[in-house]
Amino acid sequence: MFDLKKAIKDWRKSLEKNEALEDGYKEELECHLRDKIEYLKNLGRSEKKAFEEAVRAIGEAEAIGAEYYKTNTRHLNGQAPWRKSRWLPPLISNYLKIGLRKIKRQKTYSLINMAGLAVGLACCAVIILYVTGELSYDQYHKDADRIYRVSTHMINTVGEFRFTTSPGPLGPELKASYPQVELAVRLVPPFENADHVLVTQGEKRFFEKRVWFADNEIFQLFSIPFIRGNPQTALIHPNTVVITEEMAEKYFGEEAPMGKMLRIEIDYDTGNTELQDYEVQGVLKNAPANTHLKYDMFLSMETMRNNQPLFEENWTDFHAKYTYVKLAAGTNAAEFEKRIEREAQIFLKHRKMELYEFFLQSVTQIHMHSHYQREIDPPGNWTYVTIYSIIALLILLIGCMNFINLSAALSTTRTREVGLRKVIGALRRQLVAQFLGESFLITFLALILAAGLIFFLLIPFNRMAGTALTLSGLTQPLVLLSLLGLLLFVAIGAGSYPAFILTNFSPISVIQGKWASVSRGARVQKILVIGQFAISVFLVICTLIVFKQLHFMKGRALGIDLEQKIVLRVKSNLNHFRRDYEAVKNDFLQHPSITGATVSSSVPGEKTTGGYYLTSKAEDFNNAARLKILTVDYDFIPEYDIKMAAGRAFQKSFGNDENSAYVINLAGVKELGLASPEEALGKRFMAHYHRLTKTIVGVTENFHYRGMQEIVEPLILDIENSLFNTITLSIRIENMNQLMSFIKDKWDKHFPGVPFEYTFLDESFAREYRYEEQTGKLLGIITTLGFFIACLGLFGLASFIAQFRKKEIGIRKVLGASTSQIVGMLSKRFVLLTMFSVIVASPLAWYAMNRWLQDFAYRINIKPLIFLLAAGGALAIALATVGLQGFRAAISNPAHSLRNE
Amino acid sequence: MVSKNLMAASTKPIILTILAREEMYGYQIIHNVTQISGGTLEWSEGMLYPVLHRMEKEKLIQSQWRMVENGRRRKYYGLTENGRKELEQEKHQWMKVHKVLSKLWALTPS
Repeated sequence: MFDLKKAIKDWRKSLEKNEALEDGYKEELECHLRDKIEYLKNLGRSEKKAFEEAVRAIGEAEAIGAEYYKTNTRHLNGQAPWRKSRWLPPLISNYLKIGLRKIKRQKTYSLINMAGLAVGLACCAVIILYVTGELSYDQYHKDADRIYRVSTHMINTVGEFRFTTSPGPLGPELKASYPQVELAVRLVPPFENADHVLVTQGEKRFFEKRVWFADNEIFQLFSIPFIRGNPQTALIHPNTVVITEEMAEKYFGEEAPMGKMLRIEIDYDTGNTELQDYEVQGVLKNAPANTHLKYDMFLSMETMRNNQPLFEENWTDFHAKYTYVKLAAGTNAAEFEKRIEREAQIFLKHRKMELYEFFLQSVTQIHMHSHYQREIDPPGNWTYVTIYSIIALLILLIGCMNFINLSAALSTTRTREVGLRKVIGALRRQLVAQFLGESFLITFLALILAAGLIFFLLIPFNRMAGTALTLSGLTQPLVLLSLLGLLLFVAIGAGSYPAFILTNFSPISVIQGKWASVSRGARVQKILVIGQFAISVFLVICTLIVFKQLHFMKGRALGIDLEQKIVLRVKSNLNHFRRDYEAVKNDFLQHPSITGATVSSSVPGEKTTGGYYLTSKAEDFNNAARLKILTVDYDFIPEYDIKMAAGRAFQKSFGNDENSAYVINLAGVKELGLASPEEALGKRFMAHYHRLTKTIVGVTENFHYRGMQEIVEPLILDIENSLFNTITLSIRIENMNQLMSFIKDKWDKHFPGVPFEYTFLDESFAREYRYEEQTGKLLGIITTLGFFIACLGLFGLASFIAQFRKKEIGIRKVLGASTSQIVGMLSKRFVLLTMFSVIVASPLAWYAMNRWLQDFAYRINIKPLIFLLAAGGALAIALATVGLQGFRAAISNPAHSLRNE
Repeated sequence: MVSKNLMAASTKPIILTILAREEMYGYQIIHNVTQISGGTLEWSEGMLYPVLHRMEKEKLIQSQWRMVENGRRRKYYGLTENGRKELEQEKHQWMKVHKVLSKLWALTPS
């Protein structure tokens, strides 16, 4: 039987659940219900029907309550606090408040946490910037996927070589013969050595590095934006030039550059350099950093054609001419490559000893994947990308471990909070959300801190890696996305463990004061400390080995004297220099502080690419040996103090050494297939370069012309003035100002109008080791940081354990333990941890450094002493950190720790 | 049926008009509305009360608990001076809209 009274009572009760419905509201609703039931009953419904219909008519109590709340609240969104939010967890504001309060209360720990994370994040951000920069090379060209460089693969008796260059006629030939080629463009440097082109405008004279002869179509092939001038016509006439904004300002300042003249020194391979006038026909935006084709000026190819008509037909010169093509849409590059592979052979029938093949290089791949001869721009280096990335991740890892460790240690201070929350009814996942949220908060703050650090990191990093990264790069979507990913990864990665142990407390044991689950956390902490120390020890070993190798390389006798030498590079007016070098030398030798002068084709520490093919039978170069060539004068060997292994150096007293004598090094003896230096003496060889047959009169020791990374290559010394371009002056360091002004006077006399530049040989040679020095410095900084952060972690753990064993220590003291005994007791386990991390790190470090050392022709052996040294250092630092903490625990008054129970 | 938006907009003038005649309690208001509209305006009954509550907060109406027969209490609502003014304004506005619509529909009978 339906009981209306009870039904109404139950309904009224169901309203109670709703917090927004105050008593008055409920009474009003009940009154309404009763009236409605009355009305429906009068219409003839049964009591049950009437009740049900009335309840339905009134509607959901939940919705009514929410409406009431909306009219009462001042909350903007009108969201009732007990109603589930769409996406924010409940109590979020409370979590935030507690989180911030904790950070404020434990300033030191929070700062350690954030600093550790910030350093890691900043390093990672810089690396992300670096990597995205490296991978973005030449992607910005329109239709970049259809632009290719045609490069050359040469095979001859000596070996295989890949050049980035190709013959001058190739571009037009391809364009004319193949419909697949939409555009073909040639680039030619205006000088045999493109890194110094003399450009003058009035009184302004500078050497420029990035000057090219180019076909006018270059502006259609590559995306090179114009500020002034017409890209269609800028370079169609002879003696026209297009310059970048930077150049315009450098040479013309405030004046409008269009139509003005620049005088540029060009070498048309005719034996004479010429100063020619060029009219400015366009101004370009400065070349971006992420292109392999760096440019400051483009000269019209018409000029080249006018001055050197043969260049259009010369299929034999594969050097210093670059060909770029844009293929028609839909062309299969691989198939096209097959078809043009042998293009050169048609024109080179007479050259049987060498096979030339062309191959295509996608312009977007050139920076990272092309490491051939005559690259325009130093290619990107995957090794460094990898090394830097690993180092950055290691720092981040140490930072994360630190965060985990300290949070775990601090968890003791939060047990009561967690216990209370649990008792009140917090679910496990709500607590996990709370602590993950806190780790997000800290990571986010660390990220802000990191943003500041990035600014300071970029400067040394740019110097080290030779990049031009800027803060503005951080706003690229890809970079931002990666950073966001990193933030998520770190916050969740570092936050989940503390969240796990913190929420794992049983509320009963917390309130009873038992810390059972906390001590289980200590085990994980130990593993983390081992991890941190292992990384640190790993870094220490690496740093020690890098510095040892560096020390070894610098200390090893080069067999050549670099001290107190000034090098003058002749970049202009070379004909005068090569003809009258004796006169030039003698002019410099008039000064009493200049003790010697010698000229050569290069100086130690410079890359030598040229070589002689040598043959003992006339004109048979098919079985020739190739030796690197260093052309010198009579004074070179004595001035550089190079020791002879057999025979004699070049000597004027023999009368005609320049036409009849070679000197080779010991490696050269082997390369020529001779058994001993003595046997080499008197042997006669013809060189392909000048087709002269000369006699080997002497053999030098293997002196190091390059850094110790490189093995001493077979080398031939020849007195051949056509390749001279460098003067070396041996000086006495005294009265330098007067000496330098004397040298400058003499320079201006022989090379008027050429900017005076000089280097000290020992300094320029030291640049051979710059990458190793940079790696060493970087590792040194990272190691220090890593150790510092790891020590903080250790400090945290030690203080945690001392806290944990406070009562035990108190009792031991009461029973008569001495301070040193207690310190020893507390430190013992850390010694074990440290030793363990050394055991973990040593083989890894050995493996990594062994691989690194493979790059060096002359290298150290990794000795166990290094590992012992690293172990000792790690142990000392660990003991100092822990001992301090232990000492503090040991001298504390036992009365304090034992009093309250 | 009437759309939800129109319903929400018309609630206030309807309540004001009804209460202008005499003081009433919630159920009476609903009952009146249902009868006058002939069932075309059907309110979710419970929702009336938060609306009344809000109007009271806006000082358009005032309420009073009164004892009635068989010892039950009822909450009666009546217009305030503000409420009367508001009603005049509402009337004015609704008539304006009404005029425009009637003109439009008179011109182009659909």
